[in-house]
Amino acid sequence: MSEEKKSGSHVETIHLPAPTAWPIVMAFGLMLVFAGLVTNIGISVLGAILALFGAVGWFRQVLPHEAHEDVPVVVERVVIETARRQVERIVVDEHHREHFPLETYPILSGIKGGIAGGIAMIPPALLYGYLSHHSIWWPVNLLGGAGLANWHHPSTADIAHFYWGGLAVACAIQAVVSLLVGLLYGAMLPLLPRHPIILGGIIAPVLWTGMIHATLNLINPVLDSNIAWGWFLVSQVTFGLVAGWVVSRQEKIQTAQSMPFILRMGIEGSGLTQEQDDEDHKA
Amino acid sequence: MADRTFPIEGTLDLTPAHVHEHTWLEVLHEWVTTVDHKKLGIMYVLYGFFFLLVGGAEALAIRVQLAEPNNHFLSPEVYNRFFTMHGTTMVFLVGMTIIFGFANYLVPLMIGARDMAFPRLNAFSFWMTAFGGLMLYYSFLGGSGLYGVGNAPDVGWFAYAPLTARAFSPGNATDYWALALIVTGVGTVGTAINVIATALSMRCKGMTLMRMPLFVWLSVVTSGLTLVTITPLTAAQIMLVIDRYLGGHFFDTQAGGSAVIWMHFFWIFGHPEVYVLVLPAFAIANEIIPVFSRKAIFGYPAMVAASVGIAFVSLGVWAHHMFTIGMTSVSNAFFVLSTMLVGIPTGIKIFNWVATMWGGKIRFATPMLFLTAFVFQFLLAGLTGIMLAVAPWDWQLHNSYFVIAHFHYVLVGAILFAIFGGLYYWFPKATGRMLNETLGKWNFWLFFIGFHVTFDTMHFVGMLGMPRSIYTYEADRGWGHLNLIVSIGAFIQGISVLIFTTNLLWSAFRGKVAGNDPWDAWTLEWAAASPPPVYNFPTEPSVSSRRPLWDLKHPEDPDWKYE
Amino acid sequence: MSTATLIPHATHAPEQEWNLPSRGRVAMYCLIIGESAIFVIFVVAYIYYIGRSLTGPTPREVLDVPIFNTICLLSSSLTIWIAERSLERNKIRLFGAWWALTLVLGAIFLVGTGIEWHTLIYEKGLTISTNLFGTTFYSLVGLHASHVIFGLIGLSTVLIFTLLGKVREEHSERIQVLALYWHFVDAVWVVVFTVVYILGR
Repeated sequence: MSEEKKSGSHVETIHLPAPTAWPIVMAFGLMLVFAGLVTNIGISVLGAILALFGAVGWFRQVLPHEAHEDVPVVVERVVIETARRQVERIVVDEHHREHFPLETYPILSGIKGGIAGGIAMIPPALLYGYLSHHSIWWPVNLLGGAGLANWHHPSTADIAHFYWGGLAVACAIQAVVSLLVGLLYGAMLPLLPRHPIILGGIIAPVLWTGMIHATLNLINPVLDSNIAWGWFLVSQVTFGLVAGWVVSRQEKIQTAQSMPFILRMGIEGSGLTQEQDDEDHKA
Repeated sequence: MADRTFPIEGTLDLTPAHVHEHTWLEVLHEWVTTVDHKKLGIMYVLYGFFFLLVGGAEALAIRVQLAEPNNHFLSPEVYNRFFTMHGTTMVFLVGMTIIFGFANYLVPLMIGARDMAFPRLNAFSFWMTAFGGLMLYYSFLGGSGLYGVGNAPDVGWFAYAPLTARAFSPGNATDYWALALIVTGVGTVGTAINVIATALSMRCKGMTLMRMPLFVWLSVVTSGLTLVTITPLTAAQIMLVIDRYLGGHFFDTQAGGSAVIWMHFFWIFGHPEVYVLVLPAFAIANEIIPVFSRKAIFGYPAMVAASVGIAFVSLGVWAHHMFTIGMTSVSNAFFVLSTMLVGIPTGIKIFNWVATMWGGKIRFATPMLFLTAFVFQFLLAGLTGIMLAVAPWDWQLHNSYFVIAHFHYVLVGAILFAIFGGLYYWFPKATGRMLNETLGKWNFWLFFIGFHVTFDTMHFVGMLGMPRSIYTYEADRGWGHLNLIVSIGAFIQGISVLIFTTNLLWSAFRGKVAGNDPWDAWTLEWAAASPPPVYNFPTEPSVSSRRPLWDLKHPEDPDWKYE
Repeated sequence: MSTATLIPHATHAPEQEWNLPSRGRVAMYCLIIGESAIFVIFVVAYIYYIGRSLTGPTPREVLDVPIFNTICLLSSSLTIWIAERSLERNKIRLFGAWWALTLVLGAIFLVGTGIEWHTLIYEKGLTISTNLFGTTFYSLVGLHASHVIFGLIGLSTVLIFTLLGKVREEHSERIQVLALYWHFVDAVWVVVFTVVYILGR
């Protein structure tokens, strides 16, 4: 169909399939075959005959050679151009993907922050015990109460008294929870990589306090019934601020986001990183 | 390149060809016997547009009937015929024909070919579709149905069994429905084969698969999907015809047959069919949005992958039309999840269109207005689709006007808007004249307002519990005012379509002369004359990027450097 | 009246071979995909309705396994392949002989189906409206038989042209496309045979 007839050295005419009526005859015939089913069988017979003629006629158009007509080419010079020549490419600068954290703090820094914060939150807690019940052991026993064997319905004096067991359990709980919270904090750091103190000092303590407030009744009912939530929040914020401050002093590391997809997928190939370097040099 | 002289050596006849005045009979003969893809494409679109007016008139009659409670503008029998024919017409005679019209006209031009792969098959397919439509509408005169008078199909466009059995649908109205659609189905499959063969085997030099315009890509995907969706419908309709003519028992529950299996077969066709219709709308969006944003399409490979993904996923979601038939909870869960999966590739597309517009130098000419509305409305349509994909929600709203509103949001809000945009965009190519912009703006804004008045309100009517396909309703149901608003919106849309028709007729003869490239576009069809000569391109083009005309217009900054 | 325009030409593109798939082949594969979808629906209907007929006769009572027919049809796929090969090597007479054999094998299959149906209808009393088994059986096997008929019409056309001496080596491509269809008809029979005569009984 798209062959060009060359006469001499230039194209004068183009071969195109010749118009033909056979397809419409065949289509009409086939439609009548079906229409006959809903009207009169005679129409189907007529349709079949038409379709047969159409098919044979069509066949003779295509075989042995496709029927063609030659369409003369008349040349009109058309130039492809635009009035809007100026092209402004959208500049993509290096920090285009800034919203992905390119750098963040390592998770280990969160654990360090957790340890520091865990130590730092002890003074406000002890201060609270001293101011409200004149005993620094009050908060210790509240936290470590679960470690005391016969600690069912303690009186206020009981809680304010000093117990070795209570201190030990409280230290253990404080250490483990501080480490775990620090780990969680480290894992959350890429959410707000540039503001670890806001995340650790304000957002996380508020969320954490809310969660404890909602669930503490189930975990440690004694603690729940004696806790002062204002002071609790103060010590949490102290934890967070100190943890955040410790984290912010750490070295930042690069996230995987800045690496090409292939590297992130862990697919290795010879020369992969080499090419990368070459391109950088060219640019 | 732009300065090079015509690449043909030797002498060329530069005198205008003698102008021969054709009699109307010669013109008619020329159009009837043509195998030219451009003429066939135009005929497809005109034929589809004619039936759009017919189907639209039916919709308006339905809306008058429903505008107030206890109305008797139509008789119940005519009402049933009208909603059946409205659905059947709009899907098979409007949607399918217009989209294949676009594909016929544009695919060869976009890939730099002279014609379709099988020009005669192309003509045959068009005439099959055309005659099928005429046969369907002949049933208004020639059908002898329940009432002994001229009778069109009245079993709903999905023709659920057992209503279609001889016992419940005597006469031959239902046979007209089945047989006429088998006829159009043959035509549709023929064109689908043709489009695929053309796009794969007729590409010009340099037009690799990943350089094909996205319109061509989506036409291929649509055609591939057509091959596996229209044929199950044909198979099911053959079964129906066997039941009705030869006393078969496929859908005969009295003899152990199953009515539910018809639903399965129909929706195995019916749901992918929606994607067959909407993918070309995406195709149009993929061409128009970049040109009017003056940016290359964002994420070309992702668009291709998403289109193919939609085609595959769409084959596994059909039973979400059937949550209320009592499937097992495993089936329900499967179809809920697979349906929601469709949201992923479609979401990719919406993001990519928005990203294409983002930072672009947008011109809000009429085509772009329509396509901007398309993106917005298609997103909303998709969201109600996700809502309906949730089985319990669907149990509540199944077959209510909420569902009607949802799929009209897709079919009108997305597909028809894209088709209008496409017509404004390519009309200059096909006729050499621009459509009038002022009328175009009126067309757009009226249609936009009318569309939202009608179909936004329809959601509420559905939430209030109005079921589909009902003839009328009592005043105390509280649907009256909302239905009146819906009907008013329908008439605003009707006026808008009339404005478009006027624009079409007026501009075809009196419109501003367009030139070859009125939109400053980048695909190959704009390198041909307007209207293109019968052979499209005097010499075979060759391309080296996705935007060959951009390369010619900006030789200092061509695309192939970046691809 | 036609006009010609300047056409984009890639000036920098290196000259390389530009190969496109044959349009006939692409179209035939598409047709086969479409036809397969039709068959899938009929086969699903058949499987779904196995054993759901409310009245007799059942498949076990009336169906005989058409071994001979099946052998004929399946071997015709082989003979048509040999014919294609002969044409590629420009051995026209050999091509004609194998092609005719294919045609004969196909015709035997069709006659065999006819005999089977005749027995079923007139001796065993199974018609398309007898029960669900009859409905699904005649439509599925009939659908396949109609494809065999279309295939045979195509085959005979080629045979007539061969006898007239019009077929030459350069027609190899088109004939292979037709042969593709015949292979499809055979492959479908494997499915139909399995479903109807093995699973269905």
